[in-house]
Amino acid sequence: MSELADNVIMFKVRDGEIGKLGILFERHHVPLYNYFLRQTGRRDASEDLVQEVFLRMLKYRQSYRGESQFTVWMYRIARNSWVDYFKKAKRELPWDEDADEPISDDPNPNDDLEESQKLSQLRAALAKLSPEKREVLVLSRYQDMRYEEIAELLGCAVGTVKARVHRAIKDLKDIYLELSQENAI
Amino acid sequence: MTCQQTTELFPDYLLGNLNEAAAAEMQSHLDSCAACQKEAESLRVIWTKLESLPSEQPSETMRPRFYAMLEAYQQGLQHSQSAPRLRDVVNGWLERWWPKHPAFQFALAVALLVAGLFIGNRLNAPALDNGEIVTLRNELNSMRELMTLTLLRQESPSERLQGVSWVQNMDKPDTELLAALLHRLDYDPNINVRLAAVDALYLFVNQPLVRQGLIQSLSRQTSPLVQIALIDLIVEMREKQATAALKQLIMNEKINADVKQRAEWGIQQLL
Repeated sequence: MSELADNVIMFKVRDGEIGKLGILFERHHVPLYNYFLRQTGRRDASEDLVQEVFLRMLKYRQSYRGESQFTVWMYRIARNSWVDYFKKAKRELPWDEDADEPISDDPNPNDDLEESQKLSQLRAALAKLSPEKREVLVLSRYQDMRYEEIAELLGCAVGTVKARVHRAIKDLKDIYLELSQENAI
Repeated sequence: MTCQQTTELFPDYLLGNLNEAAAAEMQSHLDSCAACQKEAESLRVIWTKLESLPSEQPSETMRPRFYAMLEAYQQGLQHSQSAPRLRDVVNGWLERWWPKHPAFQFALAVALLVAGLFIGNRLNAPALDNGEIVTLRNELNSMRELMTLTLLRQESPSERLQGVSWVQNMDKPDTELLAALLHRLDYDPNINVRLAAVDALYLFVNQPLVRQGLIQSLSRQTSPLVQIALIDLIVEMREKQATAALKQLIMNEKINADVKQRAEWGIQQLL
C-alpha cells in the first residue's frame, strides 16, 4: 500500500473520514512537539499545544483547501495556537530561566561531559534569540521547511525569510561564542 | 562576485540549495576573500552544531490523549447527525423554500418590501379627524338637499312623492327645503303629494316657519281629505293661533260638511 500524500489524507478527513486524522498524527506529532518545545522550552505546554493543533484541524477541516503544502497549513494552525495559548493563559514569555532541562535519557548513551556542556550552551544560545529569529531557524533547520514555504507561512517575501535566517544564525553564533567564553573563564 | 552578493547566498548555502554554478562562483570568492571565508565557515559550524541538538519524544500520554479526543469528536459528530437540532431543521426548511435563482430571490425580496410598505402604510394611515368628517358629511347633506329639491320640482308625481319622503328622512332640512315642501302642500296638483307633504311636515312642526305655513295653508286647500288632515295636524300641535283659521274655514259656505264638522271639533279641542 503506497503512502498517501498528507494533502490527500486531509481532504478525506475534511470530507468526513475523521478517523484518517490518526495517520496525520502519527506522521507529524513528533516534529510538531519538537517545534513547540524549541519555541517554548516547556514539555507540558508543548504537548497541550500539539493536542490543540489536531483539535483545530478537526474544527476547521472544512476550511482546508489544499492550496499550499499541508505542513504550511499545519504550522499556520500551530503558530496561531501558540499565540492564543500564551495570550489566554497570560503566561510569561517562553524560554526563560524556568525552561525545562532536557530529559536525562537522551538518545546519547556515551556523551562525555564536554559534549553535553556544548549542547546545553547551544540550547541556551537558542533561547536567547529573539522569537522571530528563533522561529525561522527552527522551521528551516528542524522542521525541514523550504524558505518558500516559510515565506508563505509567515506571509512575507522569500528574501525577507533568507535575510532573517542569515541574521539569526549570525546572532546565534555570537551568543554561543559569548557563552563559551563565559564558561571557559 | 562581491562580498555583499556572497553573504546574500549564505542562507541557501547552509541549506544546500545552491546550484552548481552558484556554488562554484561562491567558492571562487571565498578562496580569494579571507573575511568571507571565515564568516561562511563559522556559520556552517554553528548550523551543523544545531543538528546535534536531539529531537525529543513526547510523553507516553500524548498518543492515547489524541485518540481519545479523536473518538470523542467522532461520537459527538454522530450524535449531532442522528438528532438534528432545531436550528438545522429550520435551516433545512428555509433552504427548501428559499428560491435558488438570483432573479427569484430578487423578486421575493421586492415582494416582501412591497408587502412591508403596504402593511406599514395601513398601520400608520392617519385617521380622518373630526373636522374632515364634519366637512364631508355637510357636503353629502347639501348634495342630498339639492337632489331632493330637484325631485320636488319634477313633473312626475311619483318623483315628487319620492322627494317628499327624502325630506322625511332628513334630520334637519334647511328652510329652503321646508319652504319647497310647504309650496308642494299648497299648490301641488296631485292630492297624494299634498297629503304626503302634510305627513312630512308633521315631523317639523316645532319650526315656526312650518307652523305658520300649515295654518295659512288651511284656507288655500280645496280637497276635503287634505283639509281634514291639516285640521288634525293643527290640533295635534296645539296651536291656539289656528282657531281663527278654523273659524274662517267654517264661515266658508262652499266647505264640505265633513270638513266643517271636523273644524268645529278642532276648535273645541283647542279651547
